[in-house]
Amino acid sequence: MNESTSIALSARQISKIVDGPDGCLTLLDGITLDVVRAESLAIVGASGSGKTTLLGLLAGLDRPSGGSITLAGTCLDALDEEARARLRRRLVGFVFQSFHLLPALNAQENVMLPLELEGRRDARERADDALARVGLSARCHHYPHQLSGGEQQRVALARAFVHGPEILFADEPTGNLDERTGAAIGDLLFALNREHATTLILVTHDRALAARCARHLRLHEGRIA
Amino acid sequence: MKPLAFAARSLRREFRHAEMMTLAAALMLAVAALTAVATLASRVERALIASAAELIGGDLGVNANRPLPAAFADEAHTLGLATSVVADFSSMAFTGEQSKLCEVRAGDPAFPLRGTLTTIDAQGREQPVHAPSAGTIYADHAVFVALGVSIGARVQLGGGEFTLAGEIGKTPDSGNPFRLAPRVLMNLADAQASGMLAVGSRVRYRLLVAGEERAVTAFAAWVKPHLPAGVEILTAQDAQQNLRGAFERGESFLRLTALLAALLSGVAVALAAQRFARRKVEEIALLRCLGANRAEILIVLLLELALLALPACIAGVALGLGLQQVVLGMAEDLLPGTAPRLTFAPPLTAFVVGFAVLLGFALPPLLRLRDVAPMRVFRHDVGARVRRFDALYLLPLAVGAVLIAFGAGNLRLAATLGAGFVGVGALTFVLGLALLALVRMAAARLRGTWRFGLANLARRRALSLVQAGALALSLTALALLGVIGPSLLERWRADLPPDTPNWFLINLQTEQLDALGERLHALRATNLNTLPLAVGKLVAINGRTPKPEDYPDRRAATWINGETRLSWSAQLPAANKLLQGRWFDGRDTQPALSVDRMWSDMFHLKLGDTLTLKIGEQDITATIISIRDVDWDSFRANFFLMLDPATGANLPHSHVASFHLDGDASTPLAALSRDYPNLSLIDLNALLDRIRDIVNRVTQAITWVLGFSLLAGVLVLLAALAATADERRFEAALLRTLGAHRAQLTVAVLTEFCALGLLSGMIAVAGSAALGGALAHGVFHMSGYTPPLAPLAGIVALAAAIVACAGWLGTLRIARSAPIAVLRRG
Repeated sequence: MNESTSIALSARQISKIVDGPDGCLTLLDGITLDVVRAESLAIVGASGSGKTTLLGLLAGLDRPSGGSITLAGTCLDALDEEARARLRRRLVGFVFQSFHLLPALNAQENVMLPLELEGRRDARERADDALARVGLSARCHHYPHQLSGGEQQRVALARAFVHGPEILFADEPTGNLDERTGAAIGDLLFALNREHATTLILVTHDRALAARCARHLRLHEGRIA
Repeated sequence: MKPLAFAARSLRREFRHAEMMTLAAALMLAVAALTAVATLASRVERALIASAAELIGGDLGVNANRPLPAAFADEAHTLGLATSVVADFSSMAFTGEQSKLCEVRAGDPAFPLRGTLTTIDAQGREQPVHAPSAGTIYADHAVFVALGVSIGARVQLGGGEFTLAGEIGKTPDSGNPFRLAPRVLMNLADAQASGMLAVGSRVRYRLLVAGEERAVTAFAAWVKPHLPAGVEILTAQDAQQNLRGAFERGESFLRLTALLAALLSGVAVALAAQRFARRKVEEIALLRCLGANRAEILIVLLLELALLALPACIAGVALGLGLQQVVLGMAEDLLPGTAPRLTFAPPLTAFVVGFAVLLGFALPPLLRLRDVAPMRVFRHDVGARVRRFDALYLLPLAVGAVLIAFGAGNLRLAATLGAGFVGVGALTFVLGLALLALVRMAAARLRGTWRFGLANLARRRALSLVQAGALALSLTALALLGVIGPSLLERWRADLPPDTPNWFLINLQTEQLDALGERLHALRATNLNTLPLAVGKLVAINGRTPKPEDYPDRRAATWINGETRLSWSAQLPAANKLLQGRWFDGRDTQPALSVDRMWSDMFHLKLGDTLTLKIGEQDITATIISIRDVDWDSFRANFFLMLDPATGANLPHSHVASFHLDGDASTPLAALSRDYPNLSLIDLNALLDRIRDIVNRVTQAITWVLGFSLLAGVLVLLAALAATADERRFEAALLRTLGAHRAQLTVAVLTEFCALGLLSGMIAVAGSAALGGALAHGVFHMSGYTPPLAPLAGIVALAAAIVACAGWLGTLRIARSAPIAVLRRG
């Protein structure tokens, strides 16, 4: 495997500038990084350092003000939101701090979502398997408000991995959980990551969780420290 | 905490949020719709009443059987009103050998104060005039024919001789089709001088007043306690029986449109407030956590609401007034005469109703915020569950019911609308549950992205039901306004078909019937209807002499003191409907009677009661065997009392005929009148034209009001749909994050909203068709009305399209903004 084919994600000189009440505000400035396949990268830094903004740009959820991002060999610069969505559906999984489960859907239906978007006929069966893998077989038909925070995040993990993404983006996955539950979720996240050989890009304040990643990227005021 | 300052600061920040804009916009729209509709309705109504004033020759009349005390006219002058006095009596007109009994109206030079009196000169030119000058008279064409004279001839009337100065063209108060003789108009001073108004003559006097509305009202208030016995007030509204129906229907239509606009707005306000309350939960939890008590929280919420409502309601009033002015400007010929000036009552009422709508529909979710637990700051799931039933949610129902009760101004309209909307709500719940269950089953078996949309609908059962209910109610209101209303108006117009009888013949003798029938046939008369006519006096009800004071309905006195006309027929006449009992079938051995509903209500009559009537020299005591509903707008010869034919045939009687003749029939009918000098020929064309004119004006006015309410309804409908847009935007953003492409989102959203639109559209069509039938039958008294099913079916398609478009537009923004921005807002 040569270097170019082993690169899962590449960012060159990316910046993000937004309009604020006192003029332009630079959130990110000159970020350059490469992440190889199956690597785990923790993005750390103080609050407001631009971690989540960077994650959003790397995942193609937003456009940078400058610079270039290549995801699984596809340059995002020229892609419109429509094309980026297609790319995300095929290659990317997400885990959020606030879980972001749809409250009207039960656990099984939430996990089915990415498969349904792909039009998979076996969505229900695969969702059941994914829920079994995270230990929630018995909670398939429970709605988010009937689940604890840890259980909701396990459903979110099942949803993130159910369609076999190449890259998983996780934004403070343990941020809303107690230490013990957070640790259990961390274990599950890394176990699934290993099983699926997924590239993991993680934003966290949790030092223990960050310590489990192969590489760290520290941000300070929008720049790599 | 300073509640006002806190509420103001909070509102300033909140206003950036969409639901506050929606709430303010919905409120502004509600008040604008109410102001525009109520102001327009009030101005149109007052203009129509003013036009009705033309019918009595003034804004208000005081009728008496002797000259009224001077104090009446003095009071009117003090109030700044113009006055006029007329006297009505019968007299014979002579010229040479010819004579004719005439109904004479003697008027002072000011007559008429309102409306138009015209004469036709020898050259056939019509010109507006006032009461004739001294020494001259005007007369109906029938007088010219009967006396064989032309304009300029000298005619003897009472004790004097007068010059026939013109033929009467149009005249106010021309609407009594059963006038027994043609009219003559003369100068009041001449009538007094020639002794025609001497004591002992049967003269009816009328003092007419006209002027500022406020002064007329004040005069009416002054007159009421000063009324001597036998004196009554005649208002524009009750001037003519035939026109009253037209006014009442017009008023009901106008009230209906304003009411529906208010209810539609209530739905939008309720949805926006729900959304506002959901978002406020975290803030309230924090305030509670920091030590704010429930009362403080409630005060702050109410102040915030009031600070939002005040400018919104003011802006709504301004917008509404502007809009109604535009509508009036665009329809200058809509109102007879100049538009009545603006009054403060409708905008003020709209302002108050706006606040009532806000409080009634927005308070329940906000009041529930008092119960937010401080623990929610730490755990979002605390108190997140919604109670299944909350008595607070009865508040909007109560406000809706009060709005309907007061706004309808008609108990039957209020009950029909109230029952209709409750029915639509119940139908939505039952049908919605069943259809959602079906959708759920179907969606589980189907594939593709539209399956996702359908599943979404079924999965969010409660929300879908609430939305379908709100949409069904809005669409029902829209269907009522857009389809049912116009079709009812069309049906109303058709109540006066082209072959409506426009001529009456009275005093027709039995032996003349056949020959006259042939003459009329030769003239191509259509819709000929002949009935016998006897004149009697009511002398006893169930053996007791009736007294006017025993009956609250003041019209009873007219029948007790005056004469009544009655008829008989083997078949139930057209335009009559049996309500109780049976029609005469020849089995009756004793005199039997059928009475009109108005009579049975007025005299508290029921089947089996007896009426004693003095007819000629006979006293007939007849038992009531049926009660009828008579369509008095049909322009046929109709009677309050109908006897059994066997009894009737032995009574002294003449006949009355009604028929329709196209075009100018004056020449052939003049010949007819000459050949049968005993006949009185009555021309109903002027009255028919007047009624058609009024119906047309009312329908035009209502179409404008309908159009505006319809627009308000569509805007409120869109606002209602936008109330759930946040949740959908978040879902769409999440789906985008997970890789859904635009087409998938669009298909899912369109499928979901189309299904929602179809469901609510079908319920709305069923509801509005049923309500339309009930309104036509129960409120507007139209028989044989069928709701137009084809346009209603169009409403279903339109509903699906509008709802789908609104849903699609709501999620369109997400395609333009980065999903992460939405997800971060959470």
